[in-house]
Amino acid sequence: MKIQELLEELRRTPGVKAAALLTADGLAAAESLDPAFRSDVVAGLTSFLLTTTNRSLRDAGLGGCTQFELHASHGRALVLALDESCLVVMCDQFADLQAARREAQDTARRIRLCARLAR
Amino acid sequence: MHLVQRMKIWKELRRLEQRAHEEPSPSTFVDLGQVHINLEMYGKAQAVAEQGLVLFPKSTELRQLLDCARRGLRRHRAADLRVRLTRSPQPKLYRELAQLQIDLGDATALQATCKEWSVRFPDDAGAWIVLGQARLLAFYRDLAAREGHEAVRCLERAVQMDAADAEARALLGELLYRIGAVSISLEHLRVLERLRRGDPELAGLLARVARLADHGTDVAALLGEVEEHGSLAHPSVALAAPRPQGDESLARIRDGLAQVAEIPGVRKATFIKGSRALVRGAIRDGKDPFLRVVRVIAKAAHRFARRLEIGCASRSVVDGGFGHLCVCVFGEVLAAVQCDRGADLERVLGELQELVADSLYAAEVEGA
Repeated sequence: MKIQELLEELRRTPGVKAAALLTADGLAAAESLDPAFRSDVVAGLTSFLLTTTNRSLRDAGLGGCTQFELHASHGRALVLALDESCLVVMCDQFADLQAARREAQDTARRIRLCARLAR
Repeated sequence: MHLVQRMKIWKELRRLEQRAHEEPSPSTFVDLGQVHINLEMYGKAQAVAEQGLVLFPKSTELRQLLDCARRGLRRHRAADLRVRLTRSPQPKLYRELAQLQIDLGDATALQATCKEWSVRFPDDAGAWIVLGQARLLAFYRDLAAREGHEAVRCLERAVQMDAADAEARALLGELLYRIGAVSISLEHLRVLERLRRGDPELAGLLARVARLADHGTDVAALLGEVEEHGSLAHPSVALAAPRPQGDESLARIRDGLAQVAEIPGVRKATFIKGSRALVRGAIRDGKDPFLRVVRVIAKAAHRFARRLEIGCASRSVVDGGFGHLCVCVFGEVLAAVQCDRGADLERVLGELQELVADSLYAAEVEGA
């Protein structure tokens, strides 16, 4: 299965509004987004979130971040760090985050596998 | 209900649920809640209203929906209690039913319940206390002398039946000093002090009431004066009491933080407001990098959520080789912990939210 198909499958999870695979420098490698989201905005902001957090964690001697979960009043975001990229999943505020997290982690595992096979 | 009709309603419910998810607005939540109310599913209607109020806290329609759902739940509970009372009457059940009827504002049903209660349990002062409470509510609302008389009559009857009833004495004592009958009120409060030895609040109240001006002992005349002037002689304890001091709020937050730090797996905990921070756990000093990290996470999350137009970031959980970093934010208040992988995250986040909410409440009280 291709990465694009994996993201589309993840997007079918109830409450998931957007799923994208981003490169370390903040570019969208693959995406499946609701029209409400712009891919460059999601990619840029996710890159900012992850870079800022990682820099601060490393300065504190805590190492890098593997997952960032954010709850806001109108939505939720889940960022999973992969080897040289990251998977970002945006959900609405009513989404079952546990189910979405499980699906996202499964997708991340399959993306890693795809990337390894492609090498 | 006909099967086809039922299916149609379920279909409509699903459509409205979908709409509330996709286009959340007060009217979509109200429409959905209204269908639940029509189906007498008050619990679901209450949940919908609460969910809507999280997003639209100022919506009057959603507040009305919540009120309507709660009234429906109370009516259901009252009907259930009625059935249980017919089978096996108990004072506890009568009290619960009477309280529900007070909440529903059903004075006729309340009278009937209390009458039945006092006939079945003539030695129980409870019926008179509840009736007194209902009359007191009406008196404080309308300042009508007649309601005041009735309240005094019911509460005095309760005190006569059970001289050791602290609740009736407290209500009566408060009513009397508020209308200006300070000396009679003090008699009741002194008896109450003997009943509740070592109660610091009561001692404070007694000292405060003793300093108030006494307007006499003619309760009927004093009630008449209240009705005539449209105001009570003295304010209530709650209004006259000094507001919580900063030290007290701080102590409460410190206790809450200590509670969070005691959760198994929690290593570091902090509460930050502006530039000040309270800390618990393995934190060396104010320069501990943990404090900087949680501030950075909170700021980054805030910016991310605002720019993506998903509202305000309230909770963030960051995982890594160090375990979890949990951050709860509201306005300029932040509570955060670092915990091990096995820690109960739900509990940690719940406690952090409570801590933030507590501090906001304290700020509101101080600012009032």
